[in-house]
Amino acid sequence: MIKAYLGVDVGSVSTNLVVLNEQGELLAAKYLRTNGRPIQTVQEGIQKLGSEIASQIKIVGCGTTGSARYLSSMIVGADIVKNEITAHAIAACHEFENVHTIIEIGGQDSKIIILRDGVVTDFAMNTVCAAGTGSFLDQQASRLCIPIEDFGGYAAKSTNPVRIAGRCAVFAESDMIHKQQLGYNLEDIVAGLCEALVRNYMNNVGKGKEILAPVIFQGGVAANFGLVQAFNKYLGFDVVVPRHHAVMGAIGAAYLAREAVGMKGRSSFKGFDLEKIDFKTTSFECKGCSNACEVVQFFENKNLVARWGDRCGKWELQVS
Amino acid sequence: MYKVGIPRSLAYFVYLPLWKTFITELGHEVVESPPTSRDILDRGVKEAVNDACIPIKLYHGHAAHLAGQCDLLFCPRLVSVRKHGDFGSETFCPKFLGLPDMVRLGLKDLPPLLDTRIDLKPFGSGNWEVARDIGQRLGNSMARCRRALRLGMAAQRSFRSLCQQGMLADAALEAVFNGVEPTRQTGTKQDITIAVVGYPYAIYDPYINAGLIKILQQQGVKIVTQDMLSERELNRQNRKLPKTLFWYFSNRAVYGGLHFMSEGQADGLIHVTAFACGPDSMVDRLLEIEAKRHGTPYLPIAVDEHTGEAGVRTRVEAFLDMLRYQRRRR
Repeated sequence: MIKAYLGVDVGSVSTNLVVLNEQGELLAAKYLRTNGRPIQTVQEGIQKLGSEIASQIKIVGCGTTGSARYLSSMIVGADIVKNEITAHAIAACHEFENVHTIIEIGGQDSKIIILRDGVVTDFAMNTVCAAGTGSFLDQQASRLCIPIEDFGGYAAKSTNPVRIAGRCAVFAESDMIHKQQLGYNLEDIVAGLCEALVRNYMNNVGKGKEILAPVIFQGGVAANFGLVQAFNKYLGFDVVVPRHHAVMGAIGAAYLAREAVGMKGRSSFKGFDLEKIDFKTTSFECKGCSNACEVVQFFENKNLVARWGDRCGKWELQVS
Repeated sequence: MYKVGIPRSLAYFVYLPLWKTFITELGHEVVESPPTSRDILDRGVKEAVNDACIPIKLYHGHAAHLAGQCDLLFCPRLVSVRKHGDFGSETFCPKFLGLPDMVRLGLKDLPPLLDTRIDLKPFGSGNWEVARDIGQRLGNSMARCRRALRLGMAAQRSFRSLCQQGMLADAALEAVFNGVEPTRQTGTKQDITIAVVGYPYAIYDPYINAGLIKILQQQGVKIVTQDMLSERELNRQNRKLPKTLFWYFSNRAVYGGLHFMSEGQADGLIHVTAFACGPDSMVDRLLEIEAKRHGTPYLPIAVDEHTGEAGVRTRVEAFLDMLRYQRRRR
């Protein structure tokens, strides 16, 4: 049995799971769509991983990250729960020496992380606006009836990208429609959109940051060659897309788990047979004051194990 | 005897001890609006003009909440409190200057406003003109006003001194009025000090900043704010800038940031900024530039009516991880 570490990254769009060995080599990875059902998706992912590799390995540490990191930590029994910025930085630092900049674009958020000498020195995330993230690309691809996987191919064929306003998703879309009705070809519009998104990213998230090579481009959107090309053009040098770019957050969580278990001793991982456990959440509106908080209750096999969502802490319950 | 309503927003977190004590000592009753809730925020967003910043909208919500509960609403026109700045022309932000008008025109069924103009630029720091005006409107004698003002100033001084001993303003207000044991920031072990600067109504209103202060405290952070510094400490920073800003609270935030950065008292700087705040477009950029120059890690937290705790928590956790990793490396 090989000792292994599990990393789980549950984001708004995708749920990623990876298993690393003691040396940090990737043994297995799963990239699933969250589809608005984080609990089922995590259970399903763990199940799939288990059927592939459970016979050869023993999970000795488990970490979760992503916007559903607290929820997923309760499902899998995590040893460490970390924000996605730290997780991404850790993963990139382990994969590459001397990373200076990380560009990460996910389903509904985008971030930039600046590192010097292997330590994060600055970072920024997009604000409420989701223009320029994966969801928007998804939406435009489906409007143009291009499978999102082929999006980059179209951009690559462009010879003269058209200029599209990338400040806001709504304006970008109407601008694209305008250009398409004027008769510009699809390749140039797609490439123009990629460049607009990069401009938007640099003006918002990357504003005032010192972007030095090597730049690592990770997150689900890094699969899109059109954006890679647009970043290269904007920066004037080539960005590096890691082999496992889509699951870097999960890889970071696994590395963090290795570190955490080293200090803690043993893992709280519940095992691969999660589908036998019945996880359920219910919610209610607290009537205690006019805040009317929506409190979420988390049940494991009908036992209430956690409650959150209240501002005052009255209902807070955390059994770990 | 009147019932005087004081909305729990804007200058509340800075001048409550003075004016609450003053009005109470004149023999009137002060009614405060409750801490911000979703109800109050929703109401403010609905009633206020659309392009106002969140704190102003929030103030409308608090004022609306007090309608029907008081005979008069204390809503002074805050113009200036000192002669400061390059031309001695520092004022409050324009929205404070027009606040009584905005509230009066925006909200229906309000009681009459106590909209005394507070413009202390010509008088140094004397509040007497203001106190006399309020006292006259409330039908009190000058002698009584003089005494009440003296007590109000004393309350204000003890509030300021509690703040300067390291208490957060909301806790200091508790201590001044309810005599609660002045609890200093304790709890879990604090291994990191973070300077949180910004407008008092953004820092001390836990609803609008999505629990930022609580999140920081849970994570073992010692918090320092500009309000824990004396006027002298703050104003000393003035000469480090080529030019002062026009607005009182903005200058305090910038001076506070500069103080903590140059004295090396903070491991990191957080600027809490309210969405759609005009002056903050300058303050945020200034602090960002200065933080870079000082090599101090800097995190801006922009809050608006949709701000969820998750977004703030992620940023704060990442910021603290960054500080702790950096420290471990050193």
